Amino acid sequence: MAVDQEHFVHLARPLAPSAIGFSANTAPLTVNIQPQAIFSIIDHAVRRDTKDTQSTRVIGALVGVRSEDGSDVEVRSCFAIPHTENEDQVEVDVEYQKNMLALTLKASPRETLLGWYTTSHELNSFSALIQNFFASPETGTFPHPAVHLTMSTEAGRAIETKTYISAPVAVNAERAAESCLFIEVPHKLNFTDAERVALGGVAAAAETETRAAPLGTDIEGLVQAFETVSDLLERVSGFVGEVLDEERDGNHALGQYLMNALSLAPKVSNTAIEHDFNNHIQDVLMVSYLANTIRTQIDLAQRLATAPLVASEKEGGEKGKDGEEGGNKEGGGGGRGGRGGRGGRGRGGGRGGGQQREPREPRENGE
Amino acid sequence: MVDTQRDVPIKSALIEALVVMKIVKHCSSQFPTTATGSIVGMDSNGVLEITNAFPFPTIDVSTTDSHQNDASSLAAAAPRAKANIVYQNEMIKHLKEVNVDANNVGWYTSATMGNFINLSFVENQYHYQRENDKTVALVHDVSRSSQGALSLRAFKLSTEFMAAYKEAKFTTDSLQKSKLTFKDIVVEVPIVVHNSHLLTSFLHQIPASPDSAEIPLPASLDDIRRDPAKIPAHPSFDTLDLSIDPFLEKTCDLLLDSIEAHYTDLNNHQYYQRQLTREQFKITQWQTKRKAENAARVAAKQQPLPEDEWQRLFKLPQEPSRLEGMLNARQVEQYSKQVDGFTASITAKMFAVRGNLLPE
Repeated sequence: MAVDQEHFVHLARPLAPSAIGFSANTAPLTVNIQPQAIFSIIDHAVRRDTKDTQSTRVIGALVGVRSEDGSDVEVRSCFAIPHTENEDQVEVDVEYQKNMLALTLKASPRETLLGWYTTSHELNSFSALIQNFFASPETGTFPHPAVHLTMSTEAGRAIETKTYISAPVAVNAERAAESCLFIEVPHKLNFTDAERVALGGVAAAAETETRAAPLGTDIEGLVQAFETVSDLLERVSGFVGEVLDEERDGNHALGQYLMNALSLAPKVSNTAIEHDFNNHIQDVLMVSYLANTIRTQIDLAQRLATAPLVASEKEGGEKGKDGEEGGNKEGGGGGRGGRGGRGGRGRGGGRGGGQQREPREPRENGE
Repeated sequence: MVDTQRDVPIKSALIEALVVMKIVKHCSSQFPTTATGSIVGMDSNGVLEITNAFPFPTIDVSTTDSHQNDASSLAAAAPRAKANIVYQNEMIKHLKEVNVDANNVGWYTSATMGNFINLSFVENQYHYQRENDKTVALVHDVSRSSQGALSLRAFKLSTEFMAAYKEAKFTTDSLQKSKLTFKDIVVEVPIVVHNSHLLTSFLHQIPASPDSAEIPLPASLDDIRRDPAKIPAHPSFDTLDLSIDPFLEKTCDLLLDSIEAHYTDLNNHQYYQRQLTREQFKITQWQTKRKAENAARVAAKQQPLPEDEWQRLFKLPQEPSRLEGMLNARQVEQYSKQVDGFTASITAKMFAVRGNLLPE
């Protein structure tokens, strides 16, 4: 699942100053963002310090992987960097950035520094300054371009993300450090299957008043899915009904699509379905029954193992005898030895052994 | 104030969406190797707020060229490894600078079909809980989550078990006295997922709702295919997947493994019992012999020999720890509950399918 932001015409990207022997790559660049990174940025934006600093935005570094030719960039995670900003100067904790990068890379050695993010769409000379820091050969991503991600986090507005790369541009050499040309590049939000599942749990919380929801059980999830599906089917059949009643114009494409979907229903005879259904449900129930039998067995075994010995003297003698018996059996045949041993220890060996036998054989059939 | 807070036990865990995402990401990218990491947050009046997480450094096994199991066991042991404690402290120190709650509140681990209850898990959690009672272990089940429903659970060790584990005594006698059973090892803490306001507004944007109430009808089939409907993440339709057999099979395999472990455990105890009986028999023999000897000596007007010398001569075997067996029993319970859960959902789905294919 990928959430495309908007359509893009991507002609070429600016040429970065190329190192000798490194051919500058002018192929288009695509940025893929994993939701984890977005979530981190949002969390950081929420946690920003409003007291000490006048800045309305926070900054942080983007970490992830880059494809071999450098045309595909995947932002996997990010970390916040403390910085202060006022009218005429900006301070970024470079030391912090270095340490944190080292720590992050320790946990995921395959990733590299990709660029940086900030939480406002404004691109000013401070942005250029920071961008040049992240793109520089010593501290940044050179020879690859540094990616700059901006995300609007204004209350009451939609959250928008934009990604840029930059090219050096300046009126004269003195001002080169604080100016650069930002070029917007396309980006996508990518979800893997696992993340989509997680997003499901998180989205459930987003729909409640309190913005919190307990993780439901499987059954609850199933009920909700069923309800939604039947709701959707209801809507579709409502639409079809309206078309049939000539209340609404039909649509060939939709009609064709629905026909295709309906033709996917398998043509199997009723008896075959009945037969397969019964077989499978019996298998499933058998597995469940056996699993529970095993649980009861183990529970029993644990209880017997720690049961207080009431008539310890008499039991003691018997125990010895039983134990020996168990030992003999064990010598006799591999798997059964354990059972005999169990009976011996558990007292009432006959019954214990009998029950134990029960789950063992059918379970193998059940598989 | 502090004292009153300290007395409130954890009733539930409030997990930020960020933590859920981070854990899921880390665990699924490491799958099938076990992934572990640390979680930070704070405790407020019985609710443990978990606000951030970070993975532990991966141990490089490619140099030794050993197989996957080693990587898993190393990762499983990571939370209590010395190097990682240093790493964790360093990381927390850095997170503190950017206003993240800087208290360690436990750790997380990945699991496959609920196979997480083992000695390593207990040791890790004990390591954390020993220093701070308000720590939990988050378990993310990667295999079960692939079925559509997110499986993330929080556990902590029970107080009784903590006490018993501290003494490291799991003999029959001590278990009889403490009435500790396998059901009391871990306590599950209910999990609540929480989003910030900003995140809530972001989540309502994906997938974006249509711009107008009336969307233009597609002109051709290709239009529909090119731009398929975006299904919201919740409720997830992945739960409607019908293939249950691989999951049941895997659980059965794991159950078989547990039964094997149970037998091994039983055999150990069996061996101990026999050993004990033999030793006791020898002692009784020795005692009768010594008594007879003493009687003879008394008859011969000699000094009787001491009768408690057997304590020096014979050594009773050590009773093996019952802990393995208890953990195994707990694990079996976990599996069978899991099978129950699978059965419940698959039967519902199967009846739905039958109802669809065989209309009344």
